[in-house]
Amino acid sequence: MADAPTRRHHWGGLVWTLVRTDFKARYHGTVGGFVWALLKPFTMFLVLLGVFSFIFASDPVYKRNLLLGLFLWDFFAEGTKVGIISMHQKGYLLTKTRFPSWIVVVTSASNAVITLAVFTVAIVGFLALTGRTPSPVELVLYLAYLVAALLIVAGISLAGSVLFLRYRDLNQVWDVVTQAGFFVAPIIYPLNILPERFHFYLYLWPPTAIIQFSRAVLVQHDIPTLRAHLMLLGMTAVVFTAGAAIYRRFAPRAVEYI
Amino acid sequence: MAPILEARHLSKRFRIPSVKRSTVREHVLGMLRPSSTEELVVLDDVSFSVERGETLGIMGRNGCGKSTLLKILSGIYMPDTGEVIARGPITPILELGVGWNPELDAIDNILLLGSVMGMSLKELRQATDEILAFAELERFANMKLQHYSSGMASRLAYAVAFRAVREILILDEIFAVGDAGFRERCESRFRELHSSGHTAIVVSHDPRTIKTFCDRALLVDRGHVVVQGDGLTVADAYTALLTHEPAAAAPTAALPEAVPAS
Repeated sequence: MADAPTRRHHWGGLVWTLVRTDFKARYHGTVGGFVWALLKPFTMFLVLLGVFSFIFASDPVYKRNLLLGLFLWDFFAEGTKVGIISMHQKGYLLTKTRFPSWIVVVTSASNAVITLAVFTVAIVGFLALTGRTPSPVELVLYLAYLVAALLIVAGISLAGSVLFLRYRDLNQVWDVVTQAGFFVAPIIYPLNILPERFHFYLYLWPPTAIIQFSRAVLVQHDIPTLRAHLMLLGMTAVVFTAGAAIYRRFAPRAVEYI
Repeated sequence: MAPILEARHLSKRFRIPSVKRSTVREHVLGMLRPSSTEELVVLDDVSFSVERGETLGIMGRNGCGKSTLLKILSGIYMPDTGEVIARGPITPILELGVGWNPELDAIDNILLLGSVMGMSLKELRQATDEILAFAELERFANMKLQHYSSGMASRLAYAVAFRAVREILILDEIFAVGDAGFRERCESRFRELHSSGHTAIVVSHDPRTIKTFCDRALLVDRGHVVVQGDGLTVADAYTALLTHEPAAAAPTAALPEAVPAS
């Protein structure tokens, strides 16, 4: 195939239009509609808090850990779920003309990113109001973990979106994986209730590291070691690179399966 | 000067499995039961070129490979072998009426389709009124596409693509949409583009369209280009092919055989 014709493309406009229309279609273009997106993890928080705060009553930071864990989990679950079906959903554009299909995959996470951004502002504001303001270093590290989470979601979405066109029940398979993954990640329980020899295996599930590291800097004010950071960096690189490689392998003929 | 678009030895086959497996479950359960696949040769060694400013017509019966050819020329499908060399940007209008998000109104859909066709948001905002006027849909600008008739949706697609085109326009079944008034506007817009030096590739079943608008045309049958010539010659050959006259007994394509797809 010849290279794309030499011409200035305005993909910035496409990205913005996709983000804006996805938001509009999802929440009917209203702020009221968007409140539902925040309500979902928050309701889950209240219910789980009601039950589990009795079990973990001795843990003084259980509430904050649970809230942070739930919102980060929601970002991961929602982002990958929408990402896997993104090329299928935007098939009506992909069959029209030639443009880089990864744009629709990556922008599909935008609603999840917006929810997480609003939550981040809220929780940092809450911490500041209650006299537990995170230091600039802790904030920068937290934002870096969010970037890692976004790259992991993007990697899974890139691979999943092209594979879903060939395997139409992949979203259901992924539903089962995330359902089990919710309990593998230490969201409703503190990681230290499990024997230390299991921790390594739980950390192989990407959300575990993102959630634990974010809790360490925002709640415990205890920065993880350099070695731990390098492992997170390595895992993010592996997930994103593998996802991008699978995408590159299958994307050129993906439209034929739409 | 080099042709603006060259198709070199394009071939495309589709594998038709005897048992279609499109889920993880079917693949896992079907591992022990081998499935045979049949090869459907859609295009077989198709080559041609289009000069700058020329309008090339493509004719052929249903299922002869025209739509696949247009998708390969537009870069939407990959050929199995051969290549397309485009020396200018291509704006295709294919599969009219299905390129929309039904949940969004006409304006948002114009922004989406226009931006995948490479227009900037600034250009699109300036052109929205003109696009709606061309499609005669000003009154329905804020109506969701799910409430549009297929004719209205197709008119909108033409209007966007006619506005977005920069050099090469690829049209499937041009002028087959809308009432006489809309067709007239399409034809005059098309003449305007032609006289300002745009290149076009037009697929049509209508001999009049090919005779009137095309400088040159191809007749495609069973994956091969069987006749090349001026619009009149090809339109007549196409009519002859439909009525099975010997004039159209051009070399026939190999029937689908069990050839492994590349």
